[in-house]
Amino acid sequence: MEVNVIVAGVGGQGVVTAGTLISQSALVKGHNVVMSEIHGLAQRGGSVSVEVRIGNIRSPIIPKGETDLILGIEPIEAVRAAENAGERTDVLINIGPVEPVSLSMRGKEYPDMRELVSEIVDRLDVHFIDALPLALEAGDARAVSTVMVGAALQLGILPIDEESTLEALKKRFSERLYTINEKALKLGMKNVLLALHEI
Amino acid sequence: MLKPENLADNMTGEVAFLLGNEAVARGLVESGVRVATTYPGTPSSEVGDTIARFARKSGIYFQYSVNEKVAYEIAYAASLSGKRSFTFMKVVGMNVAADSLMTSAYTGVEAGLVIMTADDPSMFSSQNEQDNRHFSDLAHIPLIEPSSPQEAKDFLKHAFELSEAEKLPVLFRTTTRVSHQRAPVTFGDVASGSGKSTFKRNIPQYLPFQPYSSRMKNELMEKMARISRFSDETVLNQLERKGSGKTGVIVSGAAYGPLIDVVNEHDLDVSILKLGLVNPLPEKLVLEFLGNHKEVVVVEELDPFVETKIRSLAQMNGITTSITGKLDGVFPSSFEYTQNVIAGSLSKILPVDAEHVDAKPHTEIPSRPPVMCPGCPHRGTYYAVKRAVGMSKIENVIYPSDIGCYSLGVFEPFEMSDVLLSMGSSIGTAQGFALSAGQTVISFIGDSTFFHAGMPSLVNAVHNGAKMILVILDNAVTAMTGQQPNPGSSMGSLGDPAPYARIEDLVASAGVEKISIVDPFDIKSTMRAVTEGLHFDGLSVIIARRECAIYADQKKKKIAPLVPYYVDKDKCTSCRNCVEKFSCPAISVDSGTVSIDPKLCDGCGLCSEIYVCPFRAIKSVEA
Repeated sequence: MEVNVIVAGVGGQGVVTAGTLISQSALVKGHNVVMSEIHGLAQRGGSVSVEVRIGNIRSPIIPKGETDLILGIEPIEAVRAAENAGERTDVLINIGPVEPVSLSMRGKEYPDMRELVSEIVDRLDVHFIDALPLALEAGDARAVSTVMVGAALQLGILPIDEESTLEALKKRFSERLYTINEKALKLGMKNVLLALHEI
Repeated sequence: MLKPENLADNMTGEVAFLLGNEAVARGLVESGVRVATTYPGTPSSEVGDTIARFARKSGIYFQYSVNEKVAYEIAYAASLSGKRSFTFMKVVGMNVAADSLMTSAYTGVEAGLVIMTADDPSMFSSQNEQDNRHFSDLAHIPLIEPSSPQEAKDFLKHAFELSEAEKLPVLFRTTTRVSHQRAPVTFGDVASGSGKSTFKRNIPQYLPFQPYSSRMKNELMEKMARISRFSDETVLNQLERKGSGKTGVIVSGAAYGPLIDVVNEHDLDVSILKLGLVNPLPEKLVLEFLGNHKEVVVVEELDPFVETKIRSLAQMNGITTSITGKLDGVFPSSFEYTQNVIAGSLSKILPVDAEHVDAKPHTEIPSRPPVMCPGCPHRGTYYAVKRAVGMSKIENVIYPSDIGCYSLGVFEPFEMSDVLLSMGSSIGTAQGFALSAGQTVISFIGDSTFFHAGMPSLVNAVHNGAKMILVILDNAVTAMTGQQPNPGSSMGSLGDPAPYARIEDLVASAGVEKISIVDPFDIKSTMRAVTEGLHFDGLSVIIARRECAIYADQKKKKIAPLVPYYVDKDKCTSCRNCVEKFSCPAISVDSGTVSIDPKLCDGCGLCSEIYVCPFRAIKSVEA
C-alpha cells in the first residue's frame, strides 16, 4: 500500500517545505518515503510542484491516476496538478489566488473560482480552505503551507498524525518558528473545510 | 533537519532525508575527496551549494570555476598532485569539459578523479537530452550510474577506488530524478583524505606526444580490458531478483526505481540484473544471464547504450536468446521513463496492464510560465531595448540570446530571443547573422555566460569587424542556478571577498571602441545607449549593470524591510502599459483596477518611471 501526494503551488509559497514536512512526518512514523522536486528555470513566481510517495515503492514519480492527495496551495496550480488525478484522488485547495503574469499581460483576469474548479469538482473529492488568515493568526504569512498540512491531516488520507508532524516541525525549525508553525498546524487541523458553495 | 554545514560531520549509521545532490556531497566526505570544482548547472547545482557550506569545516577545497573545462583541469591537476578530486556539471557542461577529458584518459591520473554528469532526460532544465554515457565509450573510461540518493553516495566511494586502482578518470552519471530525488540516506564513516601531496614530473606519462601517445593508447585499452573483468566481480553489478528463467531484465540508472515498482505491482515473474558499473559491461555476468533466460529485456533511459553492447556480445557468442529493447521498437529512445512508460512498453511482451487514466483537463488552465522576478534588472534592460528599437523604426532586428535568466526575454511581452544553442553562442551566432543576414543584430549575454564562453567569441567579432550590438547583462552572480559567484563577483566560492574581473576592461582590451555602462533601472540612459549603438558603424557593447534582485534582497533585507509601491487609483487611467508591456509579477488587474501586491513587490520602483507609467500613478508607500 502506498500513499501518493502532490503539493502544487507557486514558487515562494512553501511547496517544497510542505512536501518535506509531510515526508519527515512519515519518516517519524517509520514509513519509507521518496520525494521528487523539479526545479524550473525561474527563481520566483513560476509553477512549482513536488511529489511525495510513502510506502514500499522506489520511483519518485507518481503513476498517472494514482495520486491520493493533491495539496494545492494555489487554486490554478491545484487544478493543473489534477492532470495526475484518478478515482482515489482527494484535492485540498487553498482559495488564495496568485495571479499569473500571463493573464494580466493579455488584459485577462484571474478566472472565477467556481468555474476554475468546476471540472475537478465533478469527478474528485475537493475540499477548500482559506489558509492565509489562519497563517497570519499563527504569526506569519509564510506558515500557509503548514496550515495546509494541518488541514490535510483532517482528511485522514496521509499515514501521519499531529504528533509525528509536530516532531518533524521540531527537527526543522528554531524555537520561535516552531511555535508559529505548531499554531499554524493546529489551526489547519481545527478549521472547517469549506464546500464549493461556501467559497 | 540536518543543515548543509553539518553534512560533513561524523554521523556513521545515522539516517537523513537527503536530496540526491546532497547525498553526492556527503559521498565526497566519505570518499576522502580533497578538491571539488564545478560550473553551476541544473540538475547538478545543489552539489556545489552543499559543499560550499561545509567546505571550510571539512577541509575540502571547493571552487566555482569559470567553466566546466577549467573546473575539470583543476581537478585533474589536483589528482596528479595526489589529491582525490571531483568535478561535477550539468549534462551539456560535459561538452565543454570533453576536450581535456579525452586526453586525460590517455595520460591517466594519480589520486582518484571522478567527473559527474547530471543528465536531464525530458529536458526539465536543459536545451537537449544528450545521453552522456557515450562519453565513457568516446574517452574509454569507466561509467558508474547510481539509481537513488543512497547509491549516489555509496557508489562514489567505489568510483574513487576504481579510479585510483586503474589510474583512470571515472565518469559518474546521475539524472534529474536521481539528483532531485529526496530519500532516506544512511551515513557511512568520514574518510580522512590524503594529507601532504606533491606533483612528480613524469613526461612520458603526462605529455601526449609521440612516441608516448601510442603507448598511452595501448595502456588505456589494457586498463579498460582489466576493468571489464572487474565489472563481473564488483558489487555494483548485482542479480537483484531471480525469476523462473523465462524472462530476465537488465536495467541501469534512474530506470531501476520505476521498473521495480511495475514489477512489484504486477508481481511479474522476472529476474533482474542491475548494472551500476555500466561500462565496461560485465560480460561474463551478462552472458550467464542471457544463457539462463529465454528472453532478456533491456530497460535504460534515452539511447540504446547498454542494449547495443548486449546485442553485439550475444552475436559474438552465438547466443540466440531473444533480446528486447529500443532497437526493436518496444521501448522509447526519448524522454524519461516513468512507471507508465515502462508498463506501456512491457505490456507488449509481458502480462502487464498498462491502462491508466489520462485526466488532462478539458478546460483551459491559465499557464504560469517562468517569469523574471519582481525587481529583476533584466526587465529594465529588455524594456529599454525594445522601446529604443521601436523608436528607431528599424525592422527585422535579430536577437541572438544565451543561457541564463535573461533567456526568459523570449516570452511575452518582450519576445526578444531568436536563436540559442549553448553557453556563449549568442555572440558567435550574432557575428554570423551580421555577416550573412543584412539585418541589425542585437545580442544578449549574461556576465557569467560571458566569462564562461563569450570572451573568445567577442575577441573574434572585434578582430573580424562584425557590426553588432552586444548587451552584457551584468547582475554580479550566476543567478539562474542560485546566485553562485563567478569571476566578476566580488565574493569568492565560499562567500569571502575575492578579486574580480571588470567586464568593461576586458571588453576594451578586446578592441571594442564603443562601450556604454548603464543601470537598467535608468530606462532613459539605457535607451540612449541602445539608440547610439544602432547608429554606430561597428561593434558596440552595452553593459547593463545591476545586481540580481534575489541576491540584492538577501543583503537589503538585513538592513531594512523592502518598501513596496502602490497604484494611486486617482491618477491611474487603466492604460495597462505596466501590465502589458512591463509585466512584473507583482502588478495585476482585478475588475479593471490595476494594483500592486505588496507581498510580491520588491520595491525596485522601476514601474514608477515615466517610461512605464506616463501618468505617475505608481508611488512608493513611504513617499
